[in-house]
Amino acid sequence: MNNRNGLWAALLVLTVPVLAETPNLSGFWELRFDSRNVPPAPLTAAMAAEDRGVQFKLDTTATRWCHFFGVPYVMEGSTIDILQNVNGREIAITSALRNPARHIYTDGRGHVNPDTFDPVSNGHSVGHWEGDTLAVDTVGFSSEGITGIPGGGRRTPDSHLIERYRLLAGGKRLSVTFTWEDAKVFTKPHTYEFRYYRAPKATEAREFDCNASDEERAKYLTGTPGK
Amino acid sequence: MIKIARVWLAVCATAGILFGQSPAKVPDLSGFWERRDDTGSGSFGGTLEKIPRAAIKPEIVKANQEAAARQARGEVVSFGSKWCATNSYPFFMQHSAAWDIIQGQDEIALVPEVHTFARHIYLDGRQHPDATHLEPSVNGHAVGHWEGDTLVVDSVGFAGGGGTPGGGRVTPNSHLVERFHLFEGGRRLSVTFTWDDPTVYLKPHTYELTYYKSEPGTYAFEEYCHADDPAQGGSVVEPPQK
Repeated sequence: MNNRNGLWAALLVLTVPVLAETPNLSGFWELRFDSRNVPPAPLTAAMAAEDRGVQFKLDTTATRWCHFFGVPYVMEGSTIDILQNVNGREIAITSALRNPARHIYTDGRGHVNPDTFDPVSNGHSVGHWEGDTLAVDTVGFSSEGITGIPGGGRRTPDSHLIERYRLLAGGKRLSVTFTWEDAKVFTKPHTYEFRYYRAPKATEAREFDCNASDEERAKYLTGTPGK
Repeated sequence: MIKIARVWLAVCATAGILFGQSPAKVPDLSGFWERRDDTGSGSFGGTLEKIPRAAIKPEIVKANQEAAARQARGEVVSFGSKWCATNSYPFFMQHSAAWDIIQGQDEIALVPEVHTFARHIYLDGRQHPDATHLEPSVNGHAVGHWEGDTLVVDSVGFAGGGGTPGGGRVTPNSHLVERFHLFEGGRRLSVTFTWDDPTVYLKPHTYELTYYKSEPGTYAFEEYCHADDPAQGGSVVEPPQK
């Protein structure tokens, strides 16, 4: 390859992200009563035999003490705001929860070396486009937060999540399929789908604050209902 | 070489038209940004020492002095770290942790790692809600627009409770104007803050913070805080009160 051809190749690489037309997922999205298609998870025998109180206690503790909730709860705990960087290198998902944003890197990077990565409640996410579908691959989860998974099971440091985001109904709805893999939790991949509704254009971000020092709140969350 | 460059520029321009890119060329602020100790102070707190002192009202001066005196006597003036309280804006802008700008067409988000909320700056032409519909928040309600290569952000609706460098405070009456612009070829970012609040300042309080662009491949951490961790809870032990 001569220098001129090399330059053309370099320019094409630089130009491709501009030329590649990708759907714009940006905006506020909300779940409604008919937004969830969640079958029972195929749990391992050990997981199926577990006392349901175990997960309840884990999630209640995270809520009472205002831990970071993490994935998957941040995808259903409130309206989410998806923001797609105009340069195509990153997508962020924020919510009203006092929780770190999800960062989905779409700049072609791979996952961080697990030997040097500190696990986090949202995991480490990388994404790429397959036609009109954003495919997101997440590993590196911690045990922090609300770890219960819709349909059963829980997120663990060994969990692997694959998500596929696709607009429907002319961009008024957003389908997200979640597929969890974790040999200690599921006998086979567990897949469910949420279909979000696009929130009105003037929707504002909200902040659901969390106050761990509020004794009345703590009593309510950990006490007997109705007492 | 020049011919190739012209063809490439034409291709890019056409792509922008075909695929709905904004015709207005605005700087790309996106990416992770971090503060460094340019002043050689040896600490991140020290990097704020060169921020000009705010011209604040006498009653705020007095309250600050009383709080400092209590602290000097060994009293605890804030239990925020013990309880992992939400960090109020602009705390994360002066924190040592990097923060991330996500730049969309109609919105820009400032995304911190510390325990607080992402900051949403709307660029879609909306105005602040009227006072009766404005829900106070730690980040306030922020709308922005471009003035040439500078992003100008106007914020109101703060819940209050935090402080500003230079000795000021954030209250529900605070009004903040920020100006973001790149320099050194995009490797650095300047943010000029101007706080105005008739209950705190005698005149608007302006200061500048500058940031370095983080290395490519930088990824976000989560700076968690566990109020139920005895070590965290013990980080602030209230001494016997007089």
